[in-house]
Amino acid sequence: MKLITAIVKPFKVEDVKEALKDVGVVGMTVSEAQGFGRQGGHTEVYRGAEYTVDFVPKVRIEILVEDELAQEVIEALVKAARTGQIGDGKVWAMPVEDVVRVRTGERGPDAL
Amino acid sequence: MAPTHSDPRATGRAAGDPPASHADDRATGRPPASHAGDGTADRTAERPPGVANPARVAYSGATGAGASQVAAVLEREGRSNGGPALRVALVEAVDAWLAELLGDAGPGIALVATGAYGRREPAPCSDLDLMLLHTHDAEEIAPLAERLWRPIWDAGVRLDHSVRTVDEAIAVAATDLKTALGLLDARHVAGDAALVTSLRERALERWRATARERLQQLRAACKRRAERHGELAFLLEPDLKEARGGLRDGHAVRAISATWVAAGLDRRGQAAYGLLLDTRQALHLELLEQGGGQVGRARAAVDRLSLQEQDAVAARLGEPGAEPLMRGVHEAGRTLARALDQSWRRVDARHAGPAVRRWRRPVRRQLAGGVVAYDGEVLLAAGADLAARPWLALEVAAEAAGAGMPLAPQTLRRLEARPPHLPEPWPPRAREALVALLGAGASAIGVIEALDQAGVMDALLPEWGRVRCKPQRNPFHRWTVDRHLVETAVHAADLVRGVSRPDLLLLAALLHDLGKGWPGDHSVTGARLAATVGSRFGLPAADRSVLAELVRNHLLLADTATRRDLDDPATVRAVARAVGDPGTLALLHALTEADARATGPAAWTPWKARLVEELVRRVTERIEGRPAPAGEEAPGVAVSPGTAELVGRQGLALQVDGEQVTVVARDRRGLLWRVAGVLALHRLDVRAATATTAEGMAVITLSADPRHGRDPEWRLVTDDLRRAFQDRLPLERRLAEREAAYRQPAPLRPPPRVLFDDRASDLATVVEVRCADGPAILYRITRALDASGARVLSARIATYGAEVVDAFYVLGPDGRRLDGPPQRAALVTEVIGALR
Repeated sequence: MKLITAIVKPFKVEDVKEALKDVGVVGMTVSEAQGFGRQGGHTEVYRGAEYTVDFVPKVRIEILVEDELAQEVIEALVKAARTGQIGDGKVWAMPVEDVVRVRTGERGPDAL
Repeated sequence: MAPTHSDPRATGRAAGDPPASHADDRATGRPPASHAGDGTADRTAERPPGVANPARVAYSGATGAGASQVAAVLEREGRSNGGPALRVALVEAVDAWLAELLGDAGPGIALVATGAYGRREPAPCSDLDLMLLHTHDAEEIAPLAERLWRPIWDAGVRLDHSVRTVDEAIAVAATDLKTALGLLDARHVAGDAALVTSLRERALERWRATARERLQQLRAACKRRAERHGELAFLLEPDLKEARGGLRDGHAVRAISATWVAAGLDRRGQAAYGLLLDTRQALHLELLEQGGGQVGRARAAVDRLSLQEQDAVAARLGEPGAEPLMRGVHEAGRTLARALDQSWRRVDARHAGPAVRRWRRPVRRQLAGGVVAYDGEVLLAAGADLAARPWLALEVAAEAAGAGMPLAPQTLRRLEARPPHLPEPWPPRAREALVALLGAGASAIGVIEALDQAGVMDALLPEWGRVRCKPQRNPFHRWTVDRHLVETAVHAADLVRGVSRPDLLLLAALLHDLGKGWPGDHSVTGARLAATVGSRFGLPAADRSVLAELVRNHLLLADTATRRDLDDPATVRAVARAVGDPGTLALLHALTEADARATGPAAWTPWKARLVEELVRRVTERIEGRPAPAGEEAPGVAVSPGTAELVGRQGLALQVDGEQVTVVARDRRGLLWRVAGVLALHRLDVRAATATTAEGMAVITLSADPRHGRDPEWRLVTDDLRRAFQDRLPLERRLAEREAAYRQPAPLRPPPRVLFDDRASDLATVVEVRCADGPAILYRITRALDASGARVLSARIATYGAEVVDAFYVLGPDGRRLDGPPQRAALVTEVIGALR
């Protein structure tokens, strides 16, 4: 099993959700996140007051999938989240040792 | 009657199984016939086979027929509804069971029910409060007590038990409020009835004798409870028992009436109380059914009616849906909260005797014409004529909120007897007062709620009834619509420094969700309503359209910021098209934040704030890139023919026309602050002012309002002006003396702000000062400007409710625009310092 984590632009969440549904993903966790990558923080002058934008608002999406589905999910994610602009985000995958469904106690791929 | 199953022995046993642990208990060994009665067989026979009620399991273990009967009652009644029938049946069954357990204990021993069970109002998950009352030795009674409690524990019932003599019970009640309240509900269940009667009589007698002290404790307890659990009338997931306006407030009303100071619940109160009992009962049955006989949540939360159960509870109660159910619950909460408030007022009236009398008389302080602060409350002066000056209703409310004090009961009674009928459009004073009320911050909540209870909100804003107590069924919202609107205004009051029109921000906050009272898109309906209400409020057409625009677009920024690509020029273009100018955009930004903050803890996060801020920044840049709208460069004011004649005289002149005061004097440095200072000295509140020059003469036109409703001696004002211009009047000292006499603790207001607008004028620098209104505020600002070396060419002073937004067209000492950062910094320091 893999944990796929994606950082995407906030307005792309709906597109990503639809794309992932199409490849058969049945569940995901979405949270508000802030950070910076190469896009970086920047300084702005707004209404006369200078302020520093340290972190850019993003959305973090986490999906647990079986190994064979991982590549397909990543591809769908990248395609749906891309605008071609700077700050489109990142996607990464990590191996997952075990998963338990809390309600039933099912383990492993059954719990996905 | 709580099948909580903390004891594993109690779970999973079928009715016929032999008792696992206390098989040899004498209590359970008794033949069930006498208490089960004839009815039991019939009722059992009625039960359709195969319908297992989880509650049954709890009662069906070790305790014989009595417990079975309780379970049967829960099963039969619980399936059908949550009405009073279940409570009656439950009490009967539990009484019978307990009588069976106690058996024939002889004289001097009785089983007493207190709490909900004592009141004959047990809910399926409530505790069983029992007292074994006796006249024996403690050692003697212990075995009996143990024999009594064990089967109840074994049945999985949550038991709150005590073993006491009458003296002991009275002694415990003397130190413990909860026990004292419990004794007021004491009810004989089994055993020696005369003993229970004597306990009741003595408990009531003590309660009355110590009422003054006990009621104070009760009041403090009610207050703490309200603070912790919030208000039933407004919370979308309220605690039916603990919230303000919940069942416990009903108990408090009864406890007060037991002192003979106030009457108990009237018919409406009874109905509200009954509705809450039924709702709680249905909630408990639902929780038991969902949990398979166990309550899948903490005991403390068992009375919290959360969103996920509301539909099922509504169905159990035969309501068409969760919304009507919750509206009824909110209204019941409001009725009970009000009943309790009224009881407290009776208590105050009755107990305001020698024990409460102060060592010194309360200070009577005049706040405004016809409005007085007295003894920690704000009231209408006895002579104030509400019929002739209906805006006084709003002014008294605004003063109360501004001073952080409640409205006096007698004033509320006056308002209730004669709700204010304002002419349409409203006189400016009424609108100003409404804005001041809304801008007062958190203290406005209680005042508005009191106005609403007195029927004033309906008189002022007939649309309010459509959103009163209206629930909002989604997981983000915390409040009913009416309370959300008030909360939004409270949050908006913190954001007034960010906008140049605090009045429009506060009014938009109050009105933005009014459209939810009608079908259709609430933003669109709301915009229409806002325009109508705005014209009733007497707003000029331009302001009305901004108000409507704010309401129509109140979700625009939040929606766009989170759902659209901010890097896409089309996104920014679309918002810029919808919101045409930077002022409106700033208002919308503040409204968006206030709305979200008033929605619930999840609706406004730093994350979302950042996105909205970024959107606003980009849209502002886009809008400001356009040429400035025409007509801004107009610091001069046309001089009317009458004034021109005064100018022609080339000397000091004062002209008064209603609230309009015109001062003409030879132009000189520091003229404006001297005029402002003299007017303040004569208790004139300057609400608007413009200053301009003509033929070497300065013409200052002010709208001044006598603070206490009495016009000053204008001749004396003229004399003082002359002396001030000649520097023969110690303005600073005299004003300081005056202020000290009126100094009141200012409620927490946002700090003042000073902004520079370089786009507004080519000739001068425009300095905008935003701060809270107060005595001599114009004097303080203009004097500070003078001290910083800035020369005021002209000024536009505006007061919106309790907020001041003053714009000054100034030049530096060198006669040029004030462009240098050090100059600007000095000016800001000087002005902010003067406003401290």
